Amino acid sequence: MSSRPIAVTASRTLTIAAWIAGIAVWAALPWLLGRGSVDILVFAGLYTIAGLGVSFLLGQCGIVSLAQSVFYGIGAYSTAYGTTVLGWPIPACMLAGIVVSGLVAMLVGTPVLRLSGYFLALATLALAIMGHVLFLEWDWLTGGTLGIGGIPHLSLFGFTLNTPFRFYYFIWPCAAVVLWLHYNLLRSRTGIALRAMRDAPSAAKVAGIRVESLRVRTFILSAVLGSFAGSLFAHYVSFVSIDSFGIDRAIGFLLIAVLGGARSISGTVVGALFVTAAPNLLSRLGEIHPLLFALLLIVAVIFLPSGFGGAFADLWRRLGGSLRPTVKDGTP
Amino acid sequence: MVLSLWIQAILSGVTNGFVYGLIGLGIAVVFRGARIINAMQGDFALLGGVVAYLLVHNLGWPLPAAFLAAMLSGAVCGMLVERLLIRPTARRQGTDDSYLLVTLGGAFAVSASVLLYFGRDSYVLPGIGGDQSVDVFNAAIRVHALALIVIGTLVVIALRWFYRGTRLGQAMLAASIDPDGAQTIGINVPLVRTLTFGLGGLVGGLAGMLVTPLINLHYEMGLLLTLKGFAAAVLGGLTSPFGAVFGGLVLGLVESLAIVTVSSGYKDVIAMTILILIMIVMPQGLFGRRGRMGG
Amino acid sequence: MVRSVSKLLICTAIAAGALATAAIAQPKGEPIKIGAILSLSGPGAGLGQPERAGILLAEQAINARGGINGQPVKIIIEDDGSKPDIAKSKAERLVFDEKVVAMIGPSLTASTGAVSAITNAEGLAQITFTGLGPKIELTYKSLYHVLPPQELNARAMLEYTTKALKAKRIGVLHDTGYGQVVLNSLNALHDKYGVEFTAVEKFEVGATDVSAQAAKVRAANPEVVFVIATSPVPFRNARQVKIEQPIVSAIGSASYDYIRGIGEFADDIVFPEFVVGEDPKPEQKEFVAAFQKAYNALPKNFEAAGWDSAQILASGIAKAGGAKATPKEIAAAIRGVHQGAMAKYDFSRDDMTGIELSSYVFSKVVKGKFERLPFVAK
Repeated sequence: MSSRPIAVTASRTLTIAAWIAGIAVWAALPWLLGRGSVDILVFAGLYTIAGLGVSFLLGQCGIVSLAQSVFYGIGAYSTAYGTTVLGWPIPACMLAGIVVSGLVAMLVGTPVLRLSGYFLALATLALAIMGHVLFLEWDWLTGGTLGIGGIPHLSLFGFTLNTPFRFYYFIWPCAAVVLWLHYNLLRSRTGIALRAMRDAPSAAKVAGIRVESLRVRTFILSAVLGSFAGSLFAHYVSFVSIDSFGIDRAIGFLLIAVLGGARSISGTVVGALFVTAAPNLLSRLGEIHPLLFALLLIVAVIFLPSGFGGAFADLWRRLGGSLRPTVKDGTP
Repeated sequence: MVLSLWIQAILSGVTNGFVYGLIGLGIAVVFRGARIINAMQGDFALLGGVVAYLLVHNLGWPLPAAFLAAMLSGAVCGMLVERLLIRPTARRQGTDDSYLLVTLGGAFAVSASVLLYFGRDSYVLPGIGGDQSVDVFNAAIRVHALALIVIGTLVVIALRWFYRGTRLGQAMLAASIDPDGAQTIGINVPLVRTLTFGLGGLVGGLAGMLVTPLINLHYEMGLLLTLKGFAAAVLGGLTSPFGAVFGGLVLGLVESLAIVTVSSGYKDVIAMTILILIMIVMPQGLFGRRGRMGG
Repeated sequence: MVRSVSKLLICTAIAAGALATAAIAQPKGEPIKIGAILSLSGPGAGLGQPERAGILLAEQAINARGGINGQPVKIIIEDDGSKPDIAKSKAERLVFDEKVVAMIGPSLTASTGAVSAITNAEGLAQITFTGLGPKIELTYKSLYHVLPPQELNARAMLEYTTKALKAKRIGVLHDTGYGQVVLNSLNALHDKYGVEFTAVEKFEVGATDVSAQAAKVRAANPEVVFVIATSPVPFRNARQVKIEQPIVSAIGSASYDYIRGIGEFADDIVFPEFVVGEDPKPEQKEFVAAFQKAYNALPKNFEAAGWDSAQILASGIAKAGGAKATPKEIAAAIRGVHQGAMAKYDFSRDDMTGIELSSYVFSKVVKGKFERLPFVAK
């Protein structure tokens, strides 16, 4: 039993205290903010989950994916159609969405993920376009431009999650679990393999890591996250239409990933907050708001090259809070 | 199927193809010189069109003069983008994605400004030869579209001469392939980069002036054009202006043939699938150099 | 010294007089808040901006005549950017934080779906600018429409085609958004009118050139061509590939901006619509004159719809008791007949719109202006 340096113990306590304070603030927010603002925070939670899929794929595999809107849509439509037309229970519908998304990701990913760089980005964009067209054409399934309404709300422990207030306390623990699982994934053997594949691909192959299969599996994971978020989205707004699943949504998820900092898992939260809250706050300023958002985006990209997550990590380091052991490049 | 329908499909496909190709050309020029994907290219075109519209409608300028003004404003805009957006990003160690996002932000900014100052309407720009069209076996192609095709081809030839035959062109290539080496032999790399974006903007402004009589000026057209132009450029190998135009032609023809042979609803699915197949089968693009896999 | 005191007294008297006059003219007290969610940016801006013009004009007019039972009206307008998710967020804020007593809008069907899920749960009156949408809207008891269901639009188009043009073979060129919705209704009605759609071609909303689709339509030899889109491109392309047949369009394209965009090819396009500013119906004259005075331009359908929505809500709130009325009472008070500037509505009907075919006005474009046609549908 070694004696720990006092500095480490102190920083440990600081970290725990910070966590507790953070959770307390999180729990108190819905009581302090108006319903409209809580609604924004709920969307931030949904987008954190979907955005994490894109962010993980980008940060660990270097893949720019614009296809997340398709999986988000598959999740939403599966549960919308399943509950309103087929009458299936909600978990079954969400699972169906996840399975379909995973299959699509596998079938499409296997040939496509062999491409690299801009080819791959274009291929994912092509997927997003195709998905959007199919959502429109297959209106027997999706309701086309009219959409599907009357989707039932989720119900947990006897509470119907039909207000932003209630959904807030559901979505953020979900997001936290997802974030925690990813953090663990990074520290596992698979995480090491991912880092090897990203930083030293030839060495990775020599070491026996099946790079192709790893990329596809990460893509499938990303799709599963997108689908899960999409299903939750459908049960929150109780109405879905193709306007929610277009290229602009795909770009939005990519923004979250890059703004949050692709190498940072918790940065995704900040990215999601930015993408949901900023346009809303700016729209109070009137006609000029789209322009302001664009300018804000430019400033954020220029001054935060590793995203918000990277900036926070730097700040944390500078405040001296990094005496505890960290996993390089996987730091949350 | 009626012959005139096939011919219309081909004419329509070639017209659209050159529209995509003109934007793709600009993307290829910027990528060739700076290794950056410019998400604002379609919005350079929008700006060029807006400038031309204002000059022609509000000040009564003749078309050729407005043409030059559009190209010039595109060039100036391109250079401003390099100084105000790209350079600060580079100075702070931006990644490839940062450049993409910063130009995307620029694209949003242009689109939002046009909405703000111009409104949500579409505006008409007169074309070359007015609204006349030429009849080809009962199918029609606008005189302006023919002019677009001719001018587009001339631009490709001009760029080829520029890169091979002029010192500036060679300097651009050198600065992009090996910036440090280029700097060592006396090439002012930062200036050349600015000029690269200027050239991209010039081409964009030209494209805008040529394209808007066909599709009408509209504040949302920037990003849509950029997406198609990007596809065209990538198909062409990303660094070849000629390849970009050819890629655009492939895309345009696939789309219009899909419309007449299969169904207009599924045209994008077919076009995108063929796009993906081409990329898988020809990893260097249609005209890229061997060994460069998709950039 | 005496002079400055008298000066002061005179100034005070004038000021007091001015204040008193102002106080009498202006409605006073806490304003009655109405929420409005419109598409002011994004693809729907072509609808939202005219709607806003009509709403603002109505707000001014209502307050100028003393407000609602003496209290001022304040319409809080939010932009949903043509996105249903944002529309939902704005609705949450307007309904629960601002506590508006009624809602106007949105401009697009998907956004209406998202917002009405909230207003219906609260029983809040909502007057929307979209026609009846998915079936679920029939179960909503406080959602009213000031624009006709697409089925009615389709019927108007078919009435004109079969009765005035005496045609049976129709070619359709439509976009995947607005056009698709209208087409669905057209398809449902083709048996009833005995028409055949010899060609149906679609294109995406931002398409640059649709000559191939237009050529396909022409190759099918229709007698009349329907072009349903929110962009000028298909109209131009149709004429350019030598479609010489009469073109009938839908209300969504009937605006001066689109006509300008279509240029010289706009002549002779027929629109089933409601407001022809050049030749208004008697009940529309007051609104058209007021609009022209305020904006120096002629209004069309969406401006009139905006005006009507605000006026109907004002009269409903007044009927339900003014500032004391609860949202549910207001919703009930509106459920009746209203003669608006755009059309005559009957919100007690099943389709929660109650617009009759006879309200339609058929217009033809002549040199950038609309001319009212004598045809009337019954």
